Amino acid sequence: MSARDELFARVRAAVSHKLPRPAPFEPARRKSDFAAFAAELAAAGGVALGPLGPAALGERVAALCRELAPERRTLASDAALLRLGSGPWQPVPADADPHALADVAIAIVCGALGVAENGAVGLDGREARPRALPVICEHLVILLETRRLVPEMHAALAALPEGALAHHHFTFVAGPSKTADIEGELVLGAHGPRSLTVVGIDAEGG
Amino acid sequence: MTPELDQRAETSLPRGPRLTAHDAAVHALREKRDAAGRAEPDFERLRDQAQAVKAHTLDQLDVYLERFEASAQAAGARVHFAADAAELRQIVSGLLAAKGARRVVKSKSMLTEECGLNEALERAGIDVVDTDLGERIVQLAHEPPSHIIMPAIHQTRADIAALFERELGSAPGDTDPGRLTAAARRDLRARFLAADAAITGANFAVAETGSLVIVTNEGNADLGTSLPALHIACLGIEKLVPGLAELAVFLRLLARSATGQRISAYTSLVTGPRRGAELHVVLVDNGRTRLLADPRHRSALACIRCGACLNTCPVYRRAGGHAYGWALPGPIGSVLAPVLARSAAAQGLPFASTLCGSCSAVCPVRINLHEQLVQWRSSDSLRGQGRLPGTRLGAALLASPALYRAAGLAARIGWPLLGRVLRPRLLRGWLSARELPEHPGPSFRARFGARR
Repeated sequence: MSARDELFARVRAAVSHKLPRPAPFEPARRKSDFAAFAAELAAAGGVALGPLGPAALGERVAALCRELAPERRTLASDAALLRLGSGPWQPVPADADPHALADVAIAIVCGALGVAENGAVGLDGREARPRALPVICEHLVILLETRRLVPEMHAALAALPEGALAHHHFTFVAGPSKTADIEGELVLGAHGPRSLTVVGIDAEGG
Repeated sequence: MTPELDQRAETSLPRGPRLTAHDAAVHALREKRDAAGRAEPDFERLRDQAQAVKAHTLDQLDVYLERFEASAQAAGARVHFAADAAELRQIVSGLLAAKGARRVVKSKSMLTEECGLNEALERAGIDVVDTDLGERIVQLAHEPPSHIIMPAIHQTRADIAALFERELGSAPGDTDPGRLTAAARRDLRARFLAADAAITGANFAVAETGSLVIVTNEGNADLGTSLPALHIACLGIEKLVPGLAELAVFLRLLARSATGQRISAYTSLVTGPRRGAELHVVLVDNGRTRLLADPRHRSALACIRCGACLNTCPVYRRAGGHAYGWALPGPIGSVLAPVLARSAAAQGLPFASTLCGSCSAVCPVRINLHEQLVQWRSSDSLRGQGRLPGTRLGAALLASPALYRAAGLAARIGWPLLGRVLRPRLLRGWLSARELPEHPGPSFRARFGARR
């Protein structure tokens, strides 16, 4: 028998197949508005802006980029460019070697969903690519339609966009990269972004 | 307790400010966990659900392992199975050699600590860099981690400043955690960019979708796996969850129980390889099927490695993680050691507990940790290990009424001598941290006789 088959034989000898799969969890009702989301994001060390109408968006994000890292390399995903129009950003190079992104100061991408209970935003692998982009940049800016907010993780994982798991990664990001490994003291910017800003976009603006 | 454990407990965390700081730092995590639990109306019900989901999953682990294998392969991952630590080391070494990978960035994995993977790869001439800041600190200090989620919690900022000055050239005497972290970030960023391969653990593996779920606060697993063309994920077979609905339950509990956060900064569902890269998943037994077959200890496989039982444990808080002498410290480490630990001394860990039950009270998946410690003490493999000479003497005294009475009389007469003679000599170890009780006066028998 192969190592695999031997392992399965040991497992089969130990289990009974008698305990049924528990019924799905029913979470308590909670708010899923932008204010509730923003409060949790702040607790996770992130910043929420807005919600803004689509007309004001490009201007406000351009101002944000000037505050964060003026005159430095700023990349925006295709979906983000559609919303932002022109500004101090360039498109993400197609099929870029991720190593060539090491000098990116700001990355701007669109979020697939936001979670009110913990301030996390879901990034779809088709949008947040290359995979390295949202974690190698110094500052991450996520554009999020407020209609994509869900109350908690049960709803979030039930609402993953169609095909979201077919593209290598789907990542929930809650605040900037952080560590408390030195005497438990919180430090932002351990390896990845030193800051995270989520810009809410009003639903009626689409 | 074996003499070796006794010795380690005495020396691993010297009494004084270092111990006080350790105790305070880990108990602060316990308090944050409590606050997060109180703030979440679903928390206690989530714990019930998590316990039920794990019991179900473990009871048909063969089905879920097959399901995971099929869905991960369909997504383009290669799935391997390892019977034990040696096989894991062999598989990983082989995968690295096949790609000619010499420089490896690693993110935190308790399983690879358990299996001694780093040491084996280093012996094979591979440059293995731990990228979690705490893990990097202990790697540079040539120490094992001392906590499941805070590997360097036993070190002070002054220790780390001295270490980084020597190893990374940080400014002499600068103990600011922000600047120390920045020094590590600079050094590690270059290593991320130069890496040939990434090795990670996984917090969960979703059977229905074939996804690995990797949770970090630093983003080191995300950065590490996004650059090189080879990603090897090593996980125990107990990490399976049935589907995404079940995953939600654990993601809501993990960070709240670990640090009091609502969720960690990065939770990545990795399904299949990046374009142009390879993803290998190694599922490891290493004693887990023995636990699975043992109804008293199967539930220990439900552990999600949050560290809550360490943070609340009166023994862990004062002894520190190195006292345990193997990869997993604290109550869960003591429950798993008799099966999973390689060192003989670690087998005796079930005796190193006060059985206060605080661990069971905070466990997010409601493992009956302290009850399992009691069960280990009376198991065939450990019976007799914890029996000290004093315990044997006590048993003999209690078995004979005459001897018991005689001993009581002798103790009453000799009591004043105990403090003077025994304290400095015979019982120095025992009494260094304990007070002798007050003299209890006449015996119960004497008082009962006088009242009749």
